[in-house]
Order: sequence, then structure tokens, then C-alpha cells
Amino acid sequence: MERLLAVIHTFSRIALVFGLAMLLPIGVSWWIGDGAHGAFDEAFLGTLVGGGIVLRATQRFRRELRANDGVLLVVMCWLLLPAIAAVPLMLGIPGLHVADAYFEAVSGLTATGATALSGLDSLPPSINLWRTELHSIGGLGIIVLAVAILPLLGVGGRQLMKAEVPGPVKETGITPRVAETAKGFWVIYLVLIALCTLAYGLFGMSWLDALTHAFSTVALGGFSSHDASLGFFNSPALEAITIAFALISGMSYVTHFAAISGRSLRPYWRDGEVSFYLGVLGASVLLIAAYLWHQNFYTEFATALRHAAFNTVSVATTLGYSSTDYSRWPFFAPLWMLFLCSFVTCSGSTGGGIKMMRAIVLYKQVFREITHAMHPNATTYVKLGGTIVSNKIILAVLGFGFLYMVCTIGFTLVLAASGLDIVTSFSAAVACFNNTGPGLGLVGPDSNYGVFNDFQMWVCSFAMLLGRLEIFTLLVVLTPAFWRK
Amino acid sequence: MSNPLAVLRVFALVLLVFSLTMLPPALVAYLEQDSAAGAFQIGSAATFFTAVMLLLFTRRHTDELRVRDGFLLVSLVWVLVPVFAAIPFMVFFPAMSFTDAYFEAVSGLTTTGSTVIEGLDVLPYSVNLWRAELVFLGGMGLIVLAVAILPLLGVGGRQLFSAESPGPIKETRLTPRMAQTAKGLWLVYLALAIACTLGYFWAGMSWGDAFIHMFTTLGLGGFSSHDASYAYFNSPRIEAVAIVFMTLAGMNFATHFMALRRRSLSFYWLDPEIRWYVGVMYASVLGIAAYLWLAGTYPDFVTALRFAAFNVVSIATTTGYANTDYAQWPFFAPLWMLFLCSFVTCAGSTGGGIKMMRAIIVFRQVMREIVRTVHPSAVRAVKLSGAPLPNKIIFAVLAFCFAYMVILVSLTLLMVFSGLDVVTGFSAVVASFNNTGPGLGEVGPATTYKSLTDFQTWVCSIAMLLGRLEIFTLLVVFSPTFWRK
Repeated sequence: MERLLAVIHTFSRIALVFGLAMLLPIGVSWWIGDGAHGAFDEAFLGTLVGGGIVLRATQRFRRELRANDGVLLVVMCWLLLPAIAAVPLMLGIPGLHVADAYFEAVSGLTATGATALSGLDSLPPSINLWRTELHSIGGLGIIVLAVAILPLLGVGGRQLMKAEVPGPVKETGITPRVAETAKGFWVIYLVLIALCTLAYGLFGMSWLDALTHAFSTVALGGFSSHDASLGFFNSPALEAITIAFALISGMSYVTHFAAISGRSLRPYWRDGEVSFYLGVLGASVLLIAAYLWHQNFYTEFATALRHAAFNTVSVATTLGYSSTDYSRWPFFAPLWMLFLCSFVTCSGSTGGGIKMMRAIVLYKQVFREITHAMHPNATTYVKLGGTIVSNKIILAVLGFGFLYMVCTIGFTLVLAASGLDIVTSFSAAVACFNNTGPGLGLVGPDSNYGVFNDFQMWVCSFAMLLGRLEIFTLLVVLTPAFWRK
Repeated sequence: MSNPLAVLRVFALVLLVFSLTMLPPALVAYLEQDSAAGAFQIGSAATFFTAVMLLLFTRRHTDELRVRDGFLLVSLVWVLVPVFAAIPFMVFFPAMSFTDAYFEAVSGLTTTGSTVIEGLDVLPYSVNLWRAELVFLGGMGLIVLAVAILPLLGVGGRQLFSAESPGPIKETRLTPRMAQTAKGLWLVYLALAIACTLGYFWAGMSWGDAFIHMFTTLGLGGFSSHDASYAYFNSPRIEAVAIVFMTLAGMNFATHFMALRRRSLSFYWLDPEIRWYVGVMYASVLGIAAYLWLAGTYPDFVTALRFAAFNVVSIATTTGYANTDYAQWPFFAPLWMLFLCSFVTCAGSTGGGIKMMRAIIVFRQVMREIVRTVHPSAVRAVKLSGAPLPNKIIFAVLAFCFAYMVILVSLTLLMVFSGLDVVTGFSAVVASFNNTGPGLGEVGPATTYKSLTDFQTWVCSIAMLLGRLEIFTLLVVFSPTFWRK
């Protein structure tokens, strides 16, 4: 119990800092006078007062967190911060269900980008800004942020980041001084957001739209302030900018960090993932463009290439923008895009899915088994970027890969049992679990998750959280072993 | 690779024996004076002639086969014997393409049970007998394959699963243990065959029908001599007999063998798979019956139970009979049934899929990984029947499951690419790859695979073979390292 209270104490500090994030939409709302600041004011005050009370009440349980407490803290942050984030949405959008508001907030913080709202264009801009600001807060990880700016997590920080940073080989590249690394990541992240805003603004978006979309792009989220998503602007230049920033964001921040601190591009080359990441994406774009052209969906190859490039990169990097309703494409194309989003992004990036690194390990392990079948006593290794991957990590990766597939099947079955058709339930499960956003069928790029009932919304929210925390972190908390002394 | 010609010689011997198996239908056709007599005579003669030619050609290559040759032999037999088995179909149905005839033969020999032939009821008895006999032969070959040969090859950690657990055997001779094991297993198969035939006759089938359906029940094949499958009989008593024997045939034949030899039922209890197999399958029966009843598909629970029991057991054990068009049920039910067929049957049975044994191992491995997240240094073994499993086997099993899922996804994408809708494409691949038979959509229980294009039919044939040979047997033969000196 004391352990729980200590974690709650730390959580309340994080919640207070999180509340400060509402100052941005409040400021914007005052500035442009869109009438939504009342919702944010109330939510802001509520968070401060509530957080303050909990902070004082648990003051005497304050202590350094241990490894297991860290897992608990991570889970608590990801389950409860969306509830706080949902408050301004509920206040600002009358008639919104609790399930929908929580879904929207989870979708924001997990950088998924699946929305329950329609009529985005007529929403107060500050609310749209808040939605994508959630992307930017959650994109790189709430805890990474907390570690970077709060000096309270001490030695446990390393464990905490392990629980939250995606990817199998979490130790690599993270310097012993966790806070330094976390700060480094955040500096890169903020620079990318700034550059992206600038680029969007210079090429035709209003500055507010530019900031809103930059938050969303760099976090690989996918919320937009327009129902038509990037299709609203219909501008090849903006699409090219989005592709560039989505590609950069889908790479590992560890690699970016190494490249910038060493002032050299070699880390990208040495990183075992980047070449596969770019190769698979490039090949898929060409394949889908050729397929669409061949099927006469677009009469010109250039048009096919433009739409294929934008939508494929967008979905595969788990961003989730669309420039056209790609669910009308011949079915193979969107299916392939959903397939890509489940593994393409690099570990340590803001993307979702099982990550390219795990996919490579799994793939190499299968070939290792083929060799084993012929030479039962051969000693073989799986290598990644020149180093041997230990059996322990391979087992963990295989276990993860399997659990991942079971979860996908499980979510699909649950959604199908609740009465949805197969295309909708499968694509919604994949799109939420991989933190991509739009699915197909009822929840395609031209529609939204508002058609789901409350039960289905909760399932999708859970899928997004499970996917963002890479399953184990969330599952561990549910095991009895975790709670034993 | 010792000597491919020596492998070819053994293959010729198998073919020689196979040519004799066309004699029973030929005899039946002769006695009944039906129109198929010529087809079987031609088929038998052509097969016999080819076998003799091959034997003459390879007569000097009598080298002893090595374990590695086993891969080639097994692949040759399963890929080429269907070619000869297809001859009677091609002669009897002049309009049938080779693609369809090969599909039908592969479907029989892999005990899948999907058909491209319509109007089964008006076919000569001998043709239906031949189809069922293929399932029977495939089933018998399979038992040897699954319990005697694959363990020797060490495919997918299979060495574990045989009753006598030979362990990793290096370059030893294939024959002695195989012959010995095979004899015992075929005895079991024969005993079950007699009991099943008597059971069907007692329940009201004609002798002819009882014979054919016994063949396809024990092989977990699913061919019937009626277009309507078991709906033709519309008899709960026949369905009950079928359920009993399907359930028995889905268990490890080595366990049956031990139980029969020692005259003790305790082996069923000691078998680590059977309780899961029976538990999962019958819990699903109850669950689906309740679901159908609540969804209002059937007005009373007893009717729902009858249809749920027969169809769920039939699909889950990868048999593929139907006594109603279950594709019309609310979508969750058939989806769950397809899900079951991918893992429920026991290793060493005639069923398909990844097998319950592997599912148990993978499940326990995942639990181990979860515990490891909490206690990173904990040493815990994955146990099966009380004995800890070596990591090597866990690796093999996990890699198998991963390869299984990758192939499932790839083949589905291929089917969708070729223009099928996703329900048909996915269900056809699942049903073929798991050797189940009927899918959903265009290839549902009330229809056949006839509507597929040639390309799609070949994909299904390959899926059936890959599934039957546990993926790696075929993959190994197609890997370049296999052919290197």
C-alpha cells in the first residue's frame, strides 16, 4: 500500500506538470477568441486543485522509486492522464460521450490519430491544437518527458524509460545519464517540430494550422484540424514535407542523437534498421503506385505515385494522414498498407507496431531454424548491425511477436463479436493496436470512429494503450507475481 | 545431399505402391459397370508404368538414405503423387483442367477436403470412393510422417512429440524405427476405421456411405459423397457418431497406440495436450451454441447446441463437414471456428494447423517472458509433462509459429492481390493452410472452390502442401543451402 501511495505521489507531480500543458490552448484561445477558453480554464484549475490535493495528501510517502514501481507509474500515467486530457474535450464539445472523450484523449497521447469527432473544421482551433498537442506530449513518451524535466525520478529513470521506450534492445545508445539522454531526445524532437511548423507555414498553411499539423506529424499521430485531413490542402508541396518529416520521425531517436552528437551521418548507415525501413517503404510505394496505375485507378503514373507515396508513407509510419480516400482503392493496396504499419517503423521512434528491429530478428531467426533443420548441431547466430543478438533477446522478441499477433486476433474477434463486419473490426484492431489511426470499412480515412458504440470505443482505447506500451508493460501489472512482496 | 537419384528410387517405390491403390475403385467401377472404369484403369496403368521406368532408370542407385534426404523424399512424394492421383479425375471429367484436378488430389491427400467438383451425389460411387481413399491414404501417410519421419528430421521441434521421444538423431538410417512405429500406428488407425464404419452403419448410413465417410472422418479430411455434406442425412445420431470419431482422430495417435497396447486409459490423462484440446473445443461448442441462441439464429438452445457441436468440432478438428450453411451465422461464430482450426488438434494426429502442443509451449514461453519483465534475473523453465524444455525446442516452436503467421498473411495478400474479396481470400487461405476445407464467402460450406481462378487455385494447393508438410520441410528443400555440397 505504501508502495502504491508513493507511486501516486509521483504521479500527482506529473499530472500537475501535465496540467500546465493546457496553457498553450488557453493562450491561443484568448488570442484568437474562439470561445473555448472556458473549457480549458476549468480543466486547468481542476487539474491544479485536484493534483495539489493529492500531492499534499501523499506527501509523507515520498521516496525514491524502485524498478517495479516504475512500471506501475508508467501504467498509471498512461491510464489516467488521458482522463485528465479528456476533460477540456468534454467541456468544449457538448454531447460528447465519456467513452468517446477518453478515446480521443488516448488516441492523442498514444499518437494514434483515430478520431471520434466529425466536423473538425468547425471546432474551435484551440481544441484542435489541444488534440495534436497531446500527440506531441505522448509521442516521445510521457516518462521520457518527465525524466527530462523533473529531477524526481533518480536512479529509477533508466528502468522507467525501459518500460516506455519502444524496441527490443532498449539499452543501446542510452547514455548512463538518463536525464541527459531524455533531454537530448526532447531537444531533437522540439527542433523537428519547429522545422516542420516552419516548412508547413512557408508552403501555404496558416501558422496555427502549421503548428497543429507539425505536432501531429513529428509525433506520428495523425490528428488534423480538417475532416479531409491533408487532402484539404491538396498541395503536393505540403505532402512532400509531410513525407519527409514522417520518414525522419520513423527512425530511432537514439540514432538521431548519435548522429547529431557525433556530427556525422554514419550512425544512420550503421543502424541495422534504417536501410530496411527505407527499402521496404520505397519498394512498397512503387509497388502500390504501379498496382493502382495498372488497375487503371489513376490514369497517369505520376498521379498514382503522388497518392501512393503520401498515403503509404503516412499509414506505414503509423502517422495516419490521408490525401484521398484510399479505402476505395483496390483492396490489396490498403491491406498492404495496414500490413506495413504493423512493423515498418524503427525501434526508439515515435511510431507504433512491432518495430523493424523485431521484424528483422524474427526473419533472421526463421532462416536460422532452416539451417538448424539441416545441420542440427551447427552453431549459428542472429546478427544485427554487426553485433550478435543474445538468445535471451531473441526469445523475448519471439514471445513479443507472438503475443502481438494473438492480441491482434483477439481484438478482431472481440470487435466482430460485438457486431461489426470483418473488414471494419480487423482494420480497426490493426489501426488502433499499431497506433496508426484510420482503418477501413466503417472507420476508413473518410469517416471516423464516432460510429462505434461505447463498448467498441473502450476496446479500441485499450488496444491503443496496449500497443503503445508494447503489451508487456501493461500485462505485467495484471499478473499476481507483480503484486507479490 | 548424398544422391538425388537414390531419393528418386525410393520415390519410385512409393509410386509403385500408389499405383495399386487405384485398383479398389477400378474394381468397384467394374463391378458396378459405371462409367469411371476406364479412368481408373488408365490412371493405374500410367502410374505403374512411370514407376517402373523410374525404377529401371535409378536401379543402380541403392545408397542408404540419410536424414537430410528425408526432406527431399517427403517433399517429392507430397508434391508429385497428387499429379498421378489427379489422372483419374482428368480422364473421367474431360472438361476439368489440370489445375482443378491437382487441387482435388492435393486436397484429398493432405486431408483438407475442399472440392472443386459439383454434383457429388450423381457421381459414380467409384469416383467418390477414390476421393475418400485419397484422404485415407493421406491420413495414414501423415501419421507416419507426423510421428515417425518429421521427428527424425527434427522439423519445428517435432522430435518431442512422438511417444518414444527419439531426440535429435544425427545422420542415422531412416528406416528401422519408422517401420516399427508405423506398424503400430496403422493398427490403431485400422481399429478406429472398423469401429467408425460400424458406428455409421448403426446410425443409419448405407454401407457404401459409411465406408466413404469413415475414410474422410478418420483422416480429418471432410470429403463427402453428397453436395450437402451431412445435411443430406439430417440425423442427429449420425452426427453424434461423427463427433465422437472426429474427436478421437484429432488426438495423438501415439497416445491411442500406448493406451491400446497397455490397455489403460491413463495415457489420455498423462498426455499434456488432450485436456486442452478437449477443453478448448467443447468450451467453444458451448460458447457458440449460447451465442447463436442469444443472437436468435436458432429458437431453442438444443437445436443451437446440435448445430454448434457438429460444425464447431468438424471445423476445429480440421475435418470440414457441415450440416448447415454456418457461413450464414453471425460473423463471429465462423471466425472463431476458423481461429480454432489453426491450433486445436494434437500433434501426431491427422489434423492440421500449428497443433495444440506448440500453442501450449508458446503460451508458457510468453508467460515466462512476462515474469522475466518483473524479475529480470529469474531462472524459470518452460515445462511440458513436468520436464523442462530445452531452449532449442522453444526456439524452433516459436520460429515455426512465426513462419506460420507470415505465410498466412502473405498468401492472404496474394489472394487479395489477385482480385478476391478479403473474406474469401483470407478464409480460403486459412482453410487450405490448416487443411480444414470449407472457408467463407465465395468458398463457404454451401459452395465449392470452383469459382476461383487458376492462379488462386494454385495458391490454395501450395497452401495445403505447406500446411501439411509443416512449412519447414518444403522451405528447406527450396533453400539454396540445401543444394550446396
